[in-house]
Amino acid sequence: MNQVKKTIKLLRRSPYQALAAALAMSLTFFVATIFVVLVIGGQIVLNYIEQRPQVIAFFKDDTSDQKISEIIDQVKSTGLVTNVKYVTKEEALAIYRERNKEDPLLLESVSADFLPASVDISVKKAQDIGQITQVVKSRSEVDKVITPENLVEQLVKWTKALRLGGIIFVSTLLSISFLIIIMVIGMRIAIRRDEISIMSLVGATKWYIAKPFFIEGALYGILGASLSIFLVYVILLFYSPNIQNFLGPIQIFPITPLFFVYLWAGEALVAAFVGIAGATIALFRYLKVR
Amino acid sequence: MLKFESVTKKYAGDQVALEDVDLKITGGEFVFIVGPSGAGKSTLLKLITREISPTSGRILINDEDIFLTPPSKVPQLRRQIGTVFQDFKLLLTRTVFENVALPLEVLSKKESDIEKEVSSVLEKVGLLEKAERFPAELSGGEVQRTAIARAIIANPQILLADEPTADLDPKTALSVISLLDKINKEDKTTVLMATHNATIVNHFKKRVVVLEQGKVAKDEKEGKYESG
Repeated sequence: MNQVKKTIKLLRRSPYQALAAALAMSLTFFVATIFVVLVIGGQIVLNYIEQRPQVIAFFKDDTSDQKISEIIDQVKSTGLVTNVKYVTKEEALAIYRERNKEDPLLLESVSADFLPASVDISVKKAQDIGQITQVVKSRSEVDKVITPENLVEQLVKWTKALRLGGIIFVSTLLSISFLIIIMVIGMRIAIRRDEISIMSLVGATKWYIAKPFFIEGALYGILGASLSIFLVYVILLFYSPNIQNFLGPIQIFPITPLFFVYLWAGEALVAAFVGIAGATIALFRYLKVR
Repeated sequence: MLKFESVTKKYAGDQVALEDVDLKITGGEFVFIVGPSGAGKSTLLKLITREISPTSGRILINDEDIFLTPPSKVPQLRRQIGTVFQDFKLLLTRTVFENVALPLEVLSKKESDIEKEVSSVLEKVGLLEKAERFPAELSGGEVQRTAIARAIIANPQILLADEPTADLDPKTALSVISLLDKINKEDKTTVLMATHNATIVNHFKKRVVVLEQGKVAKDEKEGKYESG
């Protein structure tokens, strides 16, 4: 604790370099946090869509119950689905009525015979929609197949791209922050050259001399990560009603504060590691103790 | 306790700073190392603190060759030695108290112990009232006494002083050497002081080792020094 206090005291003596290093870390981890939230949000949206019926197959009017059972068994036997629900003509009518209850004109002269029976199929993985669609389409009893295949595919593609882009972008920013930390700590070693030389002459060990720089590096990281998490938290708190409104039934908000605590802990750990690694390289490069 | 055995030190370009120096200093002695500028006085002191290495020969403290000490043990070696530098080497951003406390901080002593020991040493050198001043706010003599306080705070066996009176007026210089003499007598600390101030050397009647062009030209008990 004493060493941390001393390090903070030293930081206050030349606050601009400290600020530059901490802000560089903040920017990096701010972008990282945004990407993490986007990727997790994207995954929630994807999961929501995956849990909805993704393939709806409508049967021809003359299809017998036996044939329908056969088709359902065939779909289930693929092992790719989580749920297959048979919707009879009567159930289809009930759904139709429920959806159009405020428009009596659309309810007039519509009977169960008018609507086809169907099966609603939910798949385990979005990429299997195509295969299931092929299975049902191959049956002559099936009149029409509706599938949001393209939407899910696009969403999977976007999520993957976001993840990859995020990793590349954050890695680049992390490298820049890493170099800034090496530079700032290197400068501070140069500024304190006399002090280091005196400390060495009065019997300080290398570890004693190096310790404050390690603490400094870790502090930059922790400070940067904390600031970024705080900013993202405030931004999400402010914009959550708008985002939730846009997402409609897909429930993302409110995000539990525990999520941010875990995210902070994880990011602070990574940031402290980056800070310490930067300090290590700076010390290795610039600290010359005779 | 401190022994130089055929020590030679050459700098780059074969410039000889010390040549075949043999010297034996017993514990509790006060020795003036004198000679003109470039005679090798500072080199001799820097060798003792292992700031530089000899080209040949051995330097022993308590019968141990200090250049056989592994680098990781050098801090322990240096804790046995207090040094008063020619340019003081005080930290300008630290107060007198903080400068003097440095060797104890390095030893990771408790704050309460540091407070007690620093106050005691500052009292000894007559600077207790100026403990919270910064070096820039002190006179030349006070700066030098701060440097001495820092050098003795960890109770070293050997105290090295490199031209401690170089920038001081004669009266202040005399008071500084008197302080070193007091430390030598009261704490039985071995004192090696490099100087070319003949007045001081002749006033104190101590052992005098004269260096000329890197060689020991004279080594006398209660010696005298006639400069240039």
